[in-house]
Amino acid sequence: MSEGSNSVLIPGRTGRADGRAGLLVRECQGLALASLVARRGRVREAAEAARAAFGVALPLVARAAGNERVTFVWAGPGQWLVETSDARGDIEAFLAPALGSLAAICDQSDSRVVIELAGTAVRDVLAKGVPIDLHPRAFGVGDVALTAAHHVGLHLRQVSEEPRYRISVVRSYFGSFRHWLESSAAEFGCEVLAPLGAG
Amino acid sequence: MRIPCPHCGLRGHEEFAYLGDATLRRPDPAAPDAERAFAEYAYRRDNPAGRHRELWYHAQGCGTWLVVERDTLTHEIGRVTEAREQGGS
Repeated sequence: MSEGSNSVLIPGRTGRADGRAGLLVRECQGLALASLVARRGRVREAAEAARAAFGVALPLVARAAGNERVTFVWAGPGQWLVETSDARGDIEAFLAPALGSLAAICDQSDSRVVIELAGTAVRDVLAKGVPIDLHPRAFGVGDVALTAAHHVGLHLRQVSEEPRYRISVVRSYFGSFRHWLESSAAEFGCEVLAPLGAG
Repeated sequence: MRIPCPHCGLRGHEEFAYLGDATLRRPDPAAPDAERAFAEYAYRRDNPAGRHRELWYHAQGCGTWLVVERDTLTHEIGRVTEAREQGGS
């Protein structure tokens, strides 16, 4: 929406203006996304086929598993959201040779906004709307949750110890989610950084 | 009220959509008393005080239909299973 790009976040500071911002936000651009839904009774076969083709088995619980090529994010029983920066525009062809006979594959690249959240106040900000426990004893690196904040469905996972979280939101709801996020982060300061993977 | 989703763990009821009685079975439309049976099925619902088996959909979670045992007096949640394990209609 800004500078002729399809960016949904404009870099800059909102909320408390002094000191280091408690919440750091960046959009992840250039990702290819696909939904992967195993055919009935084929979940384990699909998991094995993914391991053979990509070196990563599909996680069968609420976890994400990936390598430098591709990440499979659990999205419900027998369902995954596939993320890769390798196959923008052609993710179905990327997955189909290994998984096309075992699962339904559908390109979701433009359907979600993917952002990363970090900063010293990130858990405090998320706690204002995300109803699940993100304390390290309950939710750690690689854990995935499907939940909601501010009535907007979220696909959330922790990607590093700092902590850093990656959230995908259905694109048409993102404006509403961003409003909630910036309001919730205002007391800590919210810094939108330059997008990741742009260009 | 929190419902232990077998896939997502303990979640607030606001993540779920409620359908109702999980014990009902769709009548046979070819049966001679189908009209009466469908009227019963569609309109004459019990309103039990106490333990009830109900369908809940994890709408803002994993998208699974669940059969939840709930006490309608205390909101105590009992056994939770996947609806797909029950079969039926």
